[in-house]
Amino acid sequence: MPVRPARARGAALKPPAPPAVASLACHGCGAPLEIRAPGRSLAVACGACGAVLDARDPDYRLIAKFEAQRSVVPRIPLGTRGRLKGETWEVIGYLARRTTIEGAAYTWFEHLLHDPTGGFRWLVEYGGHWTLAKTAAGAPVVVDDGAVYLGERYHHFQTATAEVTYVVGEFPWRVRAGETATVDDYVLPPASLSRERTQQETTWSVGEYLEGEAVWKAFGLPGTPPERVGVGAAQPSPFRPRSRTMALLLASFAAAVVLIHLLFAAFAQQKLVLDAAWEYDPRAPATASVQSEPFAIGGRTSNLVVEVSSTLAQGWAYFTLTLVNEDTGAARTFGREVAYYFGRDSDGSWTEGAPWDRAWLPSVPAGHYTLVVEPESPRPVNYRVRLTRDVPRALWMWVAMGLLAVPPLIFWWRQWTFEHRRWQESDHPLSGGSDDEGDDE
Amino acid sequence: MTTAYAVFAGLVLAGLTWIHFTGWSPIGVSEAKLVPTSVRDNPGSYRSTYGRRPYTGAK
Repeated sequence: MPVRPARARGAALKPPAPPAVASLACHGCGAPLEIRAPGRSLAVACGACGAVLDARDPDYRLIAKFEAQRSVVPRIPLGTRGRLKGETWEVIGYLARRTTIEGAAYTWFEHLLHDPTGGFRWLVEYGGHWTLAKTAAGAPVVVDDGAVYLGERYHHFQTATAEVTYVVGEFPWRVRAGETATVDDYVLPPASLSRERTQQETTWSVGEYLEGEAVWKAFGLPGTPPERVGVGAAQPSPFRPRSRTMALLLASFAAAVVLIHLLFAAFAQQKLVLDAAWEYDPRAPATASVQSEPFAIGGRTSNLVVEVSSTLAQGWAYFTLTLVNEDTGAARTFGREVAYYFGRDSDGSWTEGAPWDRAWLPSVPAGHYTLVVEPESPRPVNYRVRLTRDVPRALWMWVAMGLLAVPPLIFWWRQWTFEHRRWQESDHPLSGGSDDEGDDE
Repeated sequence: MTTAYAVFAGLVLAGLTWIHFTGWSPIGVSEAKLVPTSVRDNPGSYRSTYGRRPYTGAK
């Protein structure tokens, strides 16, 4: 029987004991402070007075003091524990950072999370967008317009100078308000990469976008997370994963439309049921109304193509046509005009109209019919009328194509708008469009 | 979105099939005879009023 390791026997399966917490009074104002990661924290900051104490010193000596300009209430209170990404974290520090771009100040908030076995993480919140970040494994390689990390290329988003404006809690470095660093952000939603440069060091961190609801649930926070403003730098696009599917659907449906049209074209009757020629002379009253021989139209109810061709040139003719169902007595009357002009002027030659016309008479039932034609024209004209049964009309194929293209176009337009709003906040805004749309996505 | 699109596309395809099968059309087949003869006989003066007629060449 194999020997099972101790942890599998249960010794290590017990819930981890709560971390030892050291309490002290702030040397600056006397406010109670706690050190939740003893041995790992280098500094502890008092949010009430701005004092920063040496967490490694037995007497917690005062190492810096800044003016606490205002009291900032952390989104997640210090000491709150929660389970995120499979590990239990405790919020031990909180700081506010600010950058100023073109005179406008932008502030974001960073919660320092600690786990005795997992180390540290940063839970960053800006405008309702959350990112869980950790120190990058190795140094990413900066390329022209981005950075490559673990084989993935991240796109440069923004470079700014960040200043710490408020700090409370404990930190694994000697934090102080007013501290500045140059921050380069790169994104590959939902991942992000940040490089922070000071005169002393350069650090890289890699982050993953989190939904506010997931953060709230992980830490058991009351209420709802702050509403999102705009599109986060690393916020995953809800459209991108479905963009390819949408393209495939569009291609499939377009192919189906063509197939349907071709099938009907292949199996349609397209049968000539009447081909008659007449002559019209406005001086001969007998030619003002003519009637065809009876003819039969078979098959299911379908369309009937009416083609009128003529010898017209520099003239017009109007034909009133009446299709009479000899079986039922029902008559359908419609008018068609044929006009054809051509010439040449100072701009060159031109033509207008045609000496022929074609129309689709919809939904004509089977039966025996006659056609009555009553032409009008200022000049004599020879004309010919052809009726063809059941002819698929390509127009409907194009209409169907157009209709099918509308939803994908709307989808891709929304996708583009989403990305436009994301990059509007960056150093590389996309051109075109507007950025005055809704704030939440 | 894709599901809604698939449903929409299904309706379009069904409509196309139905239109092909029955020959139905929402487009009226009859052309109005509204333009007076005097205008018909002077094509250069009414081109812009004749949107349905193909025109090529100089304007």
